[in-house]
Amino acid sequence: MTNFLDICERAITGPIMSEKDFDMKVFMPKLTELVRKYSIKYDRENPVPSDDQAVENLFQAAVEFLAAVGIYCQDTNRLIQFTKEEIFDGIAKAPGKCFMGEGKDAKVFGMRKPDDMKIPWLHVGSGIVSTTEEMITNKVEAYASIPEVDSISIPALDSIRGITVAAGSPVELYAAIRSVKIGRDALIRAGRPGLPICNLVSTAASAVTTIAASAPQFGLRPTDGWLCGTVAENKLEYGTMNKIAYLLNWGANVGAETAPILGGYCGGPAGTAIASTAYMMIGILALKGNYQLHFPVHFKYGCSTTRDVLWVVAASCQAASRNIPMPVIWLGYMAAGPNTKMYFYESAAWLLAATASGAPSVQTPHSAKAVLIDGFTPMECQFGVDMAKAAAKYDRKQANNLVKKLLEKYESQIDKAPSGDRYQDCYNLATGKPSEAYVRLVNEVKVELSGMGISFA
Amino acid sequence: MEKSQILEKLAAVVIDGTEDEAKALAREVVTNKLDPLEAIEQGLSKGMTIIGNRFESGDAYLPELLMAAANFNAAMVVLKPVIDEQKKKVEKFGKVLIGTVKGDVHSIGKDIVASVLDTSGFDVVDMGVDNPSLSIIEEAEKIKADVIALSSVMTTTMPAQKEVIDTLKEMGIRQKYIVIIGGGPVNQEWADRIGADGYGKSAIAAVALAKDLMAKRK
Repeated sequence: MTNFLDICERAITGPIMSEKDFDMKVFMPKLTELVRKYSIKYDRENPVPSDDQAVENLFQAAVEFLAAVGIYCQDTNRLIQFTKEEIFDGIAKAPGKCFMGEGKDAKVFGMRKPDDMKIPWLHVGSGIVSTTEEMITNKVEAYASIPEVDSISIPALDSIRGITVAAGSPVELYAAIRSVKIGRDALIRAGRPGLPICNLVSTAASAVTTIAASAPQFGLRPTDGWLCGTVAENKLEYGTMNKIAYLLNWGANVGAETAPILGGYCGGPAGTAIASTAYMMIGILALKGNYQLHFPVHFKYGCSTTRDVLWVVAASCQAASRNIPMPVIWLGYMAAGPNTKMYFYESAAWLLAATASGAPSVQTPHSAKAVLIDGFTPMECQFGVDMAKAAAKYDRKQANNLVKKLLEKYESQIDKAPSGDRYQDCYNLATGKPSEAYVRLVNEVKVELSGMGISFA
Repeated sequence: MEKSQILEKLAAVVIDGTEDEAKALAREVVTNKLDPLEAIEQGLSKGMTIIGNRFESGDAYLPELLMAAANFNAAMVVLKPVIDEQKKKVEKFGKVLIGTVKGDVHSIGKDIVASVLDTSGFDVVDMGVDNPSLSIIEEAEKIKADVIALSSVMTTTMPAQKEVIDTLKEMGIRQKYIVIIGGGPVNQEWADRIGADGYGKSAIAAVALAKDLMAKRK
């Protein structure tokens, strides 16, 4: 299998072209061609498809797509290319598991298949929803206190000592180190010091900040996980490659981070499903990921719960989990926010689609498109865990029927979804407990979902 | 071919033709001695408006929008020399400098806004991604921009939008420019808080906003 130095070499020796030509003359036309060639069709009546032959075609299209298009290096303006043989070799040699955590929380994060009744690896929390120093400890302690949780994301700090955190600034570095220390301390307070943190380093947009905050004296261990992301679509920059080079030399877990955008360069659902599937191979081959964080989103709505994105999630998750041995944390962005019924309808639909389609792991669905500071609470984490466990009881056909019922409840409101409450609006800051009204709302939703046939028992 | 037919075909070729077809039709405009400005306004721009509306409603995606822009620009390659020769001028709404702010390498949203602005009658200079605040201001001064459009897709890069505005104020040149902002986590409240002139929720909204602000300035 190609190693990371091969990737670095290809980034300086591959064919040269402008980024615009890559988008316009390579990426988009090839995707359009392969949608036709492999007859990839979006089925709006079945957001969770269960046609194995169609899923197999999707995988074959994704292999051909990656072999034809490659990945564009933005710093060198060159294409990093792979042959089909290299792609299949990478798939054959990928371990399909990742070792995470320490002590009693050390575990193996492995694979699932479509219709698998095994409970997915439960990843909770949010890194992208930023928070303040005053809130972070309460939140992380609460996330880690959920007994079933396998791994965790810690929030990014919005400011420290009242100074706004700006990407690439020294304040970002201070904030990144501080968030790591506070995060680990909160895990100790929850009695789970070995729980792996899998979104490192959340308060770090720049590579130098990530690498600096990763020094072991600040509390991180190679059995945690670092996110190293591509740029949409199929692009890599040296900042990400620098992080990967550092982590590989340390022997730390690399988390390939990828997020295809429906409505962007991928075009519609069919093209996005091909690109989404190809990203798992990019995770193995180019990013050298031990695990992956993957979150298809809708360009216009900024969420993952439109009918077409749910189909992309389900179809590409099936294609990947059948064929590509990469432990993937699937993540969805909800349009609505905390303390709204709509959030929980969306969350249930998304978790059913991903879990029944063989997602190795699901992360707490992110609220309010992940753009509201402090707009994420432990309640969404607890519901995500309960719902993922419930979702594992259903096969794709059953999940499809349930998702269709849930879509009826929220689909028409996506464009004007309520952003909901902030943590401090629906939680008691002194006790760290949710308000009675929020508890009541979630219980009401669970009763409704039970009425639809979803069993939380 | 009748004039009305050519104009209709120009709109159609923008929507789902090829660059070669767009150029061929533009040559027909020249051969038939039609007014090239009319061909733009009543043909090419109509096509862009249709595809822009489809994009806005979710019935078309970015590839269709960018292909339409490429077709539009291909036809312009043929028409522009004729317009210059006739000493006519394509009326522009103004000059926009667009870029993603420092620390942010996301480009899709910015690319879309740039493309729609370009085909909607603005001169557009795209600085790409990860631009230091002072570089943006220096470029705006150099090209004599009317509008500075700033994109930010992460909460940690939103402060860089504010930094550009604050620096413009410190340099005493804030009033020279219309500053509009956009990006996933950005909203009107943020625009108000940092003193931007406006916030565009989508590409179409950004174009309407830029046109409106330019009209008010005049």
